[in-house]
Amino acid sequence: MTPLVFRRSRFSFVALAAAGAILLAACGSSGSSGGGGKQAPNGAGSTSTTEGQYGTLPAESSNVITGGTVTYDIENGSQPQYIMPVTPGADTSVYNAEFQYLLYRPLYWTPQGNRPIINQALSLAKLPVYSNGNKTLTIHMNSQYKWSDGKPVTAQDVEFFIDILRAAVKENNANFGNYTPGAFPDNVVSMKTPDPATLVLNLDRAYNPNWYTDTQLVVIQPMPSQDWNIASTGGPHLDPSNAANAKKIYDFLNSEAKKVGTYASNPLWKVVDGPFKLTSFNPTTDANTMVPNPTYGGPVKPKFAELKAVYFTSSTAEFNALRAGKINVGGVPSADIPQVPLLRRTGYNVYGYPDLGFSYIVFNFKDKTNHWNNIISQLYVRQALAHLEDQQAIIKGVYHGAAAEAYGPVPAIPATNYVPANASTDPYPYSISDATNLLKSHGWNVVPNGTTTCQNPGTGPNQCGAGIPKGQNLNFTVYYTNDPPVAGQETIALQGAAKQIGVNITPVAKTFNFIIQNYDDPSAPQNNNKWQVENFGGFNEDIYPTTDEIFNIKGSFNEGGYTDPKADQLINASKFSSNPDALKAEASYITENLPAIFTPNEDRISAWKGITGPPDSFASLSQFGFTPEYWQLTK
Amino acid sequence: MITYILRRTATAVIVVIGVMLAIFAALHLVYPSPARAVLGLKATPQAVAAFNHTHGYDRPLWHQFLTYINQTVHLNFGESLKQNQSVGQLFKENAGRSALLSGVALVIAVLIAVPLGIAQAVKRNSIFDYTATGVSFFLYSWPIFFVCLVLIAVFSLKLNWLPFEASQATSVFGVVRDAKSMILPVSALVIVSVAAFSRYMRSSALDNLAQDYIKVARAKGLSERSVLFRHLTRNSSLPIITLVGLSLPDLLAGNLIVESVFNYQGLGLLFFTALGNEDYPILLAYTLVGAILVVIGNLVADIALTLADPRIRLI
Repeated sequence: MTPLVFRRSRFSFVALAAAGAILLAACGSSGSSGGGGKQAPNGAGSTSTTEGQYGTLPAESSNVITGGTVTYDIENGSQPQYIMPVTPGADTSVYNAEFQYLLYRPLYWTPQGNRPIINQALSLAKLPVYSNGNKTLTIHMNSQYKWSDGKPVTAQDVEFFIDILRAAVKENNANFGNYTPGAFPDNVVSMKTPDPATLVLNLDRAYNPNWYTDTQLVVIQPMPSQDWNIASTGGPHLDPSNAANAKKIYDFLNSEAKKVGTYASNPLWKVVDGPFKLTSFNPTTDANTMVPNPTYGGPVKPKFAELKAVYFTSSTAEFNALRAGKINVGGVPSADIPQVPLLRRTGYNVYGYPDLGFSYIVFNFKDKTNHWNNIISQLYVRQALAHLEDQQAIIKGVYHGAAAEAYGPVPAIPATNYVPANASTDPYPYSISDATNLLKSHGWNVVPNGTTTCQNPGTGPNQCGAGIPKGQNLNFTVYYTNDPPVAGQETIALQGAAKQIGVNITPVAKTFNFIIQNYDDPSAPQNNNKWQVENFGGFNEDIYPTTDEIFNIKGSFNEGGYTDPKADQLINASKFSSNPDALKAEASYITENLPAIFTPNEDRISAWKGITGPPDSFASLSQFGFTPEYWQLTK
Repeated sequence: MITYILRRTATAVIVVIGVMLAIFAALHLVYPSPARAVLGLKATPQAVAAFNHTHGYDRPLWHQFLTYINQTVHLNFGESLKQNQSVGQLFKENAGRSALLSGVALVIAVLIAVPLGIAQAVKRNSIFDYTATGVSFFLYSWPIFFVCLVLIAVFSLKLNWLPFEASQATSVFGVVRDAKSMILPVSALVIVSVAAFSRYMRSSALDNLAQDYIKVARAKGLSERSVLFRHLTRNSSLPIITLVGLSLPDLLAGNLIVESVFNYQGLGLLFFTALGNEDYPILLAYTLVGAILVVIGNLVADIALTLADPRIRLI
C-alpha cells in the first residue's frame, strides 16, 4: 500500500527546527528525553517497550465523549494535492495516500499496528487465492463495504480502476507514480468478474504470490465504476473496458482532479467508500476538513463529528502548535526529540517506531578514478568499511535514541514475515581492530591517522586484489545530502572512524536533488567517474521489501551500479519463484555482500493529546497507517 | 521627468530580460530537467522521459527559452509542476498576504526608526543615545529566526498573550480582521528593521545637524521643533528613502523565515518550496517578479529623492 518514495525527512526546515529546539530547550525546563533504543521511556504507558521503539502506547481510555473535532497536522511539502486514486508521479507520496485513503480505501490495507503487513480487517477484499501455477488469482470482495451513494463496492469497481490505470499509463508513463513498465497492470493479461463479488486476474506468467499481492495488488484502490464512468459532467456512462472510452474517462477524471479548489464541491469526489467525506479544502494550503461517512462499511465508524487537517508552513510552526496544545495529533521531527519531555508534561503521548525501509551509504562500483572500482569491488574492503560504522553510537548521538539498528535491506525492525536470520545480529559490528585486521590480512599497510596503502598487490587470498597497484591508498570522498542533517552527522562519524585505520574520507555536502540527479549511475552515466560514495538517505519499501530495481544489475534505482549475478538470481527468485522464503534468502545475501553500508532506521514519531483509541491505531502512524476513525475525544 | 522615467523603463526591460536569461540558463545548466525531483527517486526512466516530453524539457535549450519568453509576454507563467495550480493562481493566492505582512512592518519600522534616529542624534552621547544604540546593536545581531522564536516562546507559550501563529485567513481582508494574530510576526520584522533603519537615520541626522543651514535656522530664532521637523528630518531622510526603495522586493519575497515560523503561507515560502521541488515555472516567475520589483524600487527611490531634496535632479 505504501507508495514507493524516497526515504527522506518530510520536514523542510530541519535546520530551523534544530535552532528552535535549542531555544525552546532554553525557555523550557530540562529533562531527559526518555525513550529510544533499549531504554525504558518515561511517560504514562501500559505496554512494554521494544528495541527501536520510542515512547509508549497508552491503553485505550473509556473516558470519552461523542462528537467534537479531531485535528492533525499537514506540513509544507507533504500536503495532499491529488484526490483521484490513479495518482500521477508528481503527486505520489505517502502523505497524499494518507489523505486519499480517508476517502478511497485501498483494496488491501496495510499496516497492522506497527507491523507492515496486510490488515485483513480493514481491507476491501479477502486475500487473493492463487491457482494455475500462480498464473491466475481470484479476489473475493468483502460484502460490507459500500459507496456513499449506497451502491456496494464490487469487483467491477476494481476492474474499473485497472481499466483507467491502463489508460493513464498508456497515455503517459508518469501518470501513475507506482507504475513500472511490465509490472501491474501490464502483467494482467485478462480479467473477468464472474459475479459482482469476484474478480479473476490472469497474469502473463507465474509470480511469487507474496510478491504479487504485497507489491502489485496493494496499489489498487477501487473507484466507483457506476458514477465515474463518464467523460464529461453529466455526460453518458461509458464502457471502460473499451480502451478509447477508458482514455476519455481518465482524461476527464484527471482534469477534474487537477482543479484543487473544487475538491469539496465537485459531485465526483462526494462518492466515497472511506470512513470520511470531504467538506472543505483550501487550495492555498491544502488544509481540509472531513466529516464521517455514514455508509462506511469498515469495522469501526468514526464517532467524532469532524476531522481537520491543519496546515503548517514548517516543522517549527507545527512543533509550536504542539507546544501550545493546539492540535490533537502531530509529527515530532527528530530535531525536536529533546523537547519531547515538554510535550509529555502538557499531556501529549509520544510514540515512534521505524517504518519499513532502509537507509544506506552507497558505494559507486563504476568509478574508475584512482582504481576505486577495483578497490570497492573487493568484499573485504566493504566489510572493513562496514566495521567502521558504530550504529549504537549513531542512534544515541545522532538520533537521540529514536532509531533502530539495521544491517541490511530487510531490517529486523519493524518486523515483517521476511526478516532473514542475519538481520538481528550485526554481521559487521563496529570494530576498528576487525577493520584493521581485514586490511592487513589482504596486503595493506595500515597507518592509523596516516594513509593506509597497498603493500602486497595481486589476486591471492592475502593480497590487495585485482587492479589495485602497490602504493594505492584507500582515500575517498563521500557526498552527503545537507538536509536532513543526520546524513552529514553519520558521514562525519564514519570519517572519524576511518581515520583510525588510515582511510581518509573527504565529506562534501550537496543538496539532495543534486545528488540524485548527478550521482546516480543508471540515470547519469556521464558522471560515473565523478563520485565514490554518497549518502542521500534511502528508500521506503513495499511490505514485500525485495530490492528489485535497487540492487539488481539493470535496476533503474541501482544508484551505485552494484553488479552481482547471485544477487540478481536471488532477486529474481523473490519475484518469480513460488518459494515463500525467497525474499529472506535475497535479503540475507545482500546483508552479507554489502552493496552499501546500511545505517540505522530512524523512528517516525507522533504525538497525540485529547484523544484515545486502540494502541494499534496510534502504532500504525509509524508505518504511515492513518486510521482516525478509531479515535475518540477524551473528556 | 517623463523622459527620465521612459529611459529608465527601457533600461529596466533590458535588465529584466537579462535576469530572465541568467536565471533560465542557471536553472537548466545545473538541472537540465526537474523530472527526478518532481517524480521522485523511484521514477522509472520511462516516466522521466514521458515527463520531459510532456513539459518540453527534451527540446533544445534555446527552444525552451523562446517558449518561456513567449509565454511571459502573454502573461502566462505556466502550471506548477507539483501543486496542480497555475503559477498565476498561486501568486494571486499568496502575494497579497506577503505584501500585507511586509508592507505593514515596513511602515511601522520607518515610523519608529526615523524619530528614533533623530532623537538619538539630537541627544547624542546621552544615556538615551547609548541605551538606544546598545539595544539596536543587540537586536540587529539577532538572526530573525531567533527573534521569531523568542517572541513565540515569551508572548505565546509563556505568557499566553498572543497567538503562536499568524492569521490563517486566506484573504487579505481576513488577515486584517485578525490583527491580533499578526502582532508577533509584524513585530519580528519591525525589530530587525528598526535596528537597521535607526542607525542610518542617526548617522544621517548627525551629519545634517553639523550643517550650516541648521545653525542658520536656529540663529534666526526658529523653534527647535521647527528645526527638527521642517529642516532636519527631511534632509536626513534621504538614506532611508533609498533603503525603503530597495526594500520593495521584500514586500513579496523577504519573509521566508517569518512565514515559516509563524505558519503564514506566502510568496517567500512558495519560492522556497519550489526551490526544493525544482518547480521551474514558479522559480522562473518568482525571479522575474523579483527583478521587476528591484527595478521599480530603484526607480521609486530615485524619484522620491528628488521630491525630498529638489537639489537632486534626474537626468
